[in-house]
Amino acid sequence: MLRRKNLRPVAQLTIPTWIFLALVVLIPFFYGVYLSFLDINLASFLPPSFVGFDNYKAVLAASETWSTLRITLIITFIGLLTQIPIGILLALVLHENLRGTKVFRSILITPMLLTPVAVGLTYRFMFDTDLGVINWALESLGIERVNWLGSQTSALFAITIVDSWQSIPFVMLLVLAALTAISPSLYEAARVDGASANQIFRRITLPLITPTLLVITMIKIMDFLKLFDTLFILTRGGPGNATTTLGLWTYKTGFVFLEFSRAAALGVIITIITLPVYFLWRRASRGVR
Amino acid sequence: MILKRSASYSLLFLASFLSLFPLFWTISTSIKDRVDTYSLPPKFFSFTPTLKNYTSLFSLEKFWQIYSNSIIITLGSTLICLVVGSLAAYALARKPKFRGRTPLEGLMIAIRALPAIVLLLPIYKLSSYLGLYDSKIGLILIFAGFNIPFAIWLLMSFFEQIPVEIEESARVDGASTFKMFTRIILPLAAPGLVATGIFVSLLSWNEFLIPVIMAGENSKTLPVLVASFISNRTLDWGPMAAAATVALIPIVLLTVVIQRWLVAGLSSGAVKE
Repeated sequence: MLRRKNLRPVAQLTIPTWIFLALVVLIPFFYGVYLSFLDINLASFLPPSFVGFDNYKAVLAASETWSTLRITLIITFIGLLTQIPIGILLALVLHENLRGTKVFRSILITPMLLTPVAVGLTYRFMFDTDLGVINWALESLGIERVNWLGSQTSALFAITIVDSWQSIPFVMLLVLAALTAISPSLYEAARVDGASANQIFRRITLPLITPTLLVITMIKIMDFLKLFDTLFILTRGGPGNATTTLGLWTYKTGFVFLEFSRAAALGVIITIITLPVYFLWRRASRGVR
Repeated sequence: MILKRSASYSLLFLASFLSLFPLFWTISTSIKDRVDTYSLPPKFFSFTPTLKNYTSLFSLEKFWQIYSNSIIITLGSTLICLVVGSLAAYALARKPKFRGRTPLEGLMIAIRALPAIVLLLPIYKLSSYLGLYDSKIGLILIFAGFNIPFAIWLLMSFFEQIPVEIEESARVDGASTFKMFTRIILPLAAPGLVATGIFVSLLSWNEFLIPVIMAGENSKTLPVLVASFISNRTLDWGPMAAAATVALIPIVLLTVVIQRWLVAGLSSGAVKE
C-alpha cells in the first residue's frame, strides 16, 4: 500500500508552477500593497517615505477615479447588452447544424484570435472621419458622417463595437457548448406537447443556458476592467479622459504621470472591486454542467 | 429552430462578412499605394497591388530584431508553459486533494480575474532591481508566468481523458512515476500538448501590455512596434497596415491549419471542470 501511494503523482509536481505564480502574482501583489503606502514618484529621486493612507485618500478624493469608474461601467453595460444577445443568436444558428456550419464557425471565431493591437489599428483607419470605410458606407446609405473617435458618446460606441467584434465569438462558443449539453429529448417532448419554437426557447433553452450566461457576464465584467490594447490604440482614453477606463487610468497614473504609489493604490482598489465579481463567477460556474 | 433556414443563412453570411472584412481591409490596404489608400469611394478590388509598404516596413532599422524578439519570446515562454504546466496539470488531474491545491487554484484564477496592470506596476519596480527590465529573459519569464494557468487548465482536460488503468498496469510493471509520466502519459497527451502550445503561443504573440511596460529598445515585440505607428504625428496607413498584416498572418495561417485544436483553448478557465 505504502509503495503504491508513493508512486502516485504528487503535489511536488506543482512546485515549478508555485515558483512562477509567486513571481508574477503573489510577490507583486503584496509588494504592490506595500508600494501603495509609500510616496514613490518615478520622476523624483528623493528616497521614498511612508505616508500611510494618503494615496488612498488622494485617489478616492480625485474626480478622475470616479469618472473613469463611471466610464468603465458604461462600457461594460453597453458591451454586455450588445455581446450577449448577439452571441446567443449566433450560437443558436450554429446549433441548428445547417450545412457548412463548421466553416461558418471557423470564420466567426477568427476575430477573437487576432492581435488586439493590429485590430485596433485597422478599426482606427476604418473609423476615420474623412477617409474611413465606415463613414463612406454610412454616407452611401444616406446617413450623416460621424466623427467617431472625436466625441465621448461616439468614441464609447466605437470602442464597444471593436470590443464586441473581438468578444462576441467567446460568448458564442460558451453558449454553443451549453446548448450542446442540453438533451435533445427535452426538445422532442416539448414538440410532442405542441410547444412553439418561441416557447421552447423561453421555457427550455433560456433557463438551461442561464448558468452559462451568468458565468459569461462575470467574466466579461472582469474583462472590461482589463480592457487595454484596443482602447489604447483607438483613443488612448481620449478625447481628454472621456474614454479612459479605471484600468487605463491606473496605467496613466503610473506610467504617464509617474505617480507610482498612487497607481499602486488604484491597483489595490481595482482588486477590491474585482473580488465580489470573482466570487460570483466561481459560484455561477459551479452551476454549469 | 427559431429562424427560417433562409434567415439563418443570411445571418451567418452577414456575420461572416463582418468578421472577415476588417482582416480583408488590413491586408488590402497593406498592398495599396498612397493614392489608392486615400481614394474615395474606397477601392476594394480595382487597384494595382504594390509591395512598397512592405519594403518600407522591412527597411525599418529595428524591424527584423523586433520580429525575432517576438518569435524568441513566444517560443521561450510557450516551452516553459508546457513543461511547468504539464507537471502541475498532471498532479491536479490525478490527485483530487492535496495540501496547497486550493491556494494554487486561487492564484491561477487571480491571473485570469485581475487586470494585468495591477500586477505589472510592482513587477516593473521589482524587475528594475533585478536587472530584468528590457531583457528578453525577463519577458519570457513574465509571459510564462501569466500564461501558465491557461496551459494548466487546458492540459488538465486532456490528462483527465487518459484512463487511470493504463497507469496502473505500468506501475505493476515497475515503472517509476517519472518514467511513466514521460513515456506513457506525455505521448498519450500529445494532441493536448500541441493544442495547448498553439493556444499559449497565440496569447504570447498577441500580448501588448507586458512588453509596453517591460520592454525598452532591446526586447520590443511586434505589437509594440505596431502600436508605435499610431503615436507618429503623420499617420501613414499603408506601412501601418503592412505592420498589422505581418502580425496577423501567422495567426490566420495557424487558424486555418489547426482550427479544431483551438476551440478548447478559447474557453479555457471560464468554467471550472
